[in-house]
Amino acid sequence: MTTHEAAEAARLRLRHAEAVGAASVRTRRARSARGYLVLGLATVAILAALFPLVDIIALVTVHGIAAMKLSLFTTVTSGVAGGLQNAILGTLVLVAGGMIIAGPLGVFTGIYLAEWAEPRVAAVLRYLSDVLVGVPSIVIGYFGFAVFVTGLGWGFSLAAGAIALATFMLPYIVRTTELALTKVPGELREGSLALGITRGRTIHSVSLPVAAPGILTGLLLALGIGLGETAPLIYTASWSNYDPHLVPTHSPVGYLTYVVWTFINQPFSASHELAYAAALLLLIGVLVLNLVARQLLVGRQAD
Amino acid sequence: MTTETKTRTEAVARSRSYADEPAVAAIAAARAPRPEAERQKIRVDGLNVFFGPQQALYDVDISFPEQQVVALIGPSGCGKTTLLRTLNRMTELVPRSRHEGDVRLDGASIFGPEVDVVDLRRKVGMVFQRPNPFPMSILDNVTFGPRRHGVRNRALLGEIAEQSLRSAALWDEVKDKLNQSALGLSGGQQQRLCIARALAVQPEVLLMDEPTSALDPISTGKVEDLVRQLAETYTLVLVTHSLPQAGRVADRVAFLLSGRVVEEGTAQAIFTRPKDARTEDYLTGRLG
Repeated sequence: MTTHEAAEAARLRLRHAEAVGAASVRTRRARSARGYLVLGLATVAILAALFPLVDIIALVTVHGIAAMKLSLFTTVTSGVAGGLQNAILGTLVLVAGGMIIAGPLGVFTGIYLAEWAEPRVAAVLRYLSDVLVGVPSIVIGYFGFAVFVTGLGWGFSLAAGAIALATFMLPYIVRTTELALTKVPGELREGSLALGITRGRTIHSVSLPVAAPGILTGLLLALGIGLGETAPLIYTASWSNYDPHLVPTHSPVGYLTYVVWTFINQPFSASHELAYAAALLLLIGVLVLNLVARQLLVGRQAD
Repeated sequence: MTTETKTRTEAVARSRSYADEPAVAAIAAARAPRPEAERQKIRVDGLNVFFGPQQALYDVDISFPEQQVVALIGPSGCGKTTLLRTLNRMTELVPRSRHEGDVRLDGASIFGPEVDVVDLRRKVGMVFQRPNPFPMSILDNVTFGPRRHGVRNRALLGEIAEQSLRSAALWDEVKDKLNQSALGLSGGQQQRLCIARALAVQPEVLLMDEPTSALDPISTGKVEDLVRQLAETYTLVLVTHSLPQAGRVADRVAFLLSGRVVEEGTAQAIFTRPKDARTEDYLTGRLG
């Protein structure tokens, strides 16, 4: 670089520095005003989002605790009053049934997607799985009604309800399983394959143990989602005032979300109490599942 | 390893090689030349490897003699790792990869229809750039391979573990904590554990992909000593970015550039009187 060029470069740098500095000073006020505006909007948005949440939790907790009594757990619903034993047990068997179907199906689909599927096949399956997430739950309920309740003639039943719930839970389990497995470092997988270990055994002995907390988290979250669903069950499990009979077909099943959904509309304080108690139980259930799932995730990150 | 650190390591290796080039040659020359191998363990014939539309290797012909260390050297992206990973068919794990030509192990094609890739990888073991111990105990890491291959006898497993750890020069350091997590070991120890793990399935060939690039100088020295010892028993192929390392441990050296083997010969010949101008350019730091 000649001296002339160097002098020219220095001159340009000086001019640019002055220009940028001056512009920065000019816009300082506008910038800070914009900063406050964004901060203000964000604060309003957070409050708007938090208020209903806090309100719901407070309302349900206050009314729910007031309605809590031992007989809720020991007696069944009669008309729009009585206890919740049938609904609690019904929710448990329905969610358990859904998990028994969706758990293995979802985990194996996730394993297939993460470890075996051709990229193009995987993309199609993933897309279908995402579509399933987007299907309104009432549509899944109607599907269950059309196919199982009337189509196969199972009537309102545990099997129809569990399958409808499973359909709803499935895509979440598939996705979390796939995610957990794709997060397993490729080096570990290659290390095993390079020892002459088959793909299947590598998945079983290396990938799955490493991904286990993530997969388990997904299963728990799916349980929470299943626990809180009403729509897939209305047309499939229907409702029953009696404790669930452990037969798959021709026997409707009661569940907590139905109590919340229906009883709050009744003009009786006894039914309102039942609805709030059911809501509180659901809230606690979902909260506990989420806390446990979160704990698992934190534990994994600590490793 | 990030590209940035990788380029840095390379730059360091390069600058050192430039300054120490006569020294590297001296190191290679000072080692007593080993007798010519009696037979070729692996023969590569007209190998082309493609990843999708990209070709990574062009007409590679090279042999790997039994019980010798062959170092593959060359600038980043020259295809040395691809060549290494083709020898145990790990390149197949990359979607849309394919090959032309042949690789023969003990005279038999590794691509033959009757070849079980699981069998091949047991015979042709591999050690990676970064130590990759499994998140389990030291003992379980070493016995992982034999157990998955069906060895059930606990006494035998223990014996294999001790033998493998001794061969990997790690036994004395870990014999009292075999049941502790492998992740608690230092980087150098982890890499030797990975070597022990590879030895435990009783391979005949050991492929090493820059096994010391993530290690400190002392650990590097230990692994290099180990490579020499292992050459008494195994056939070794070593990818390395460090020319001094190639000088210290290799019997033969192959220089690759843009997917082709430019030159191959004894370490002494390559380092003291390279035939190809490009080899000389690389060795003296003008290329790469």
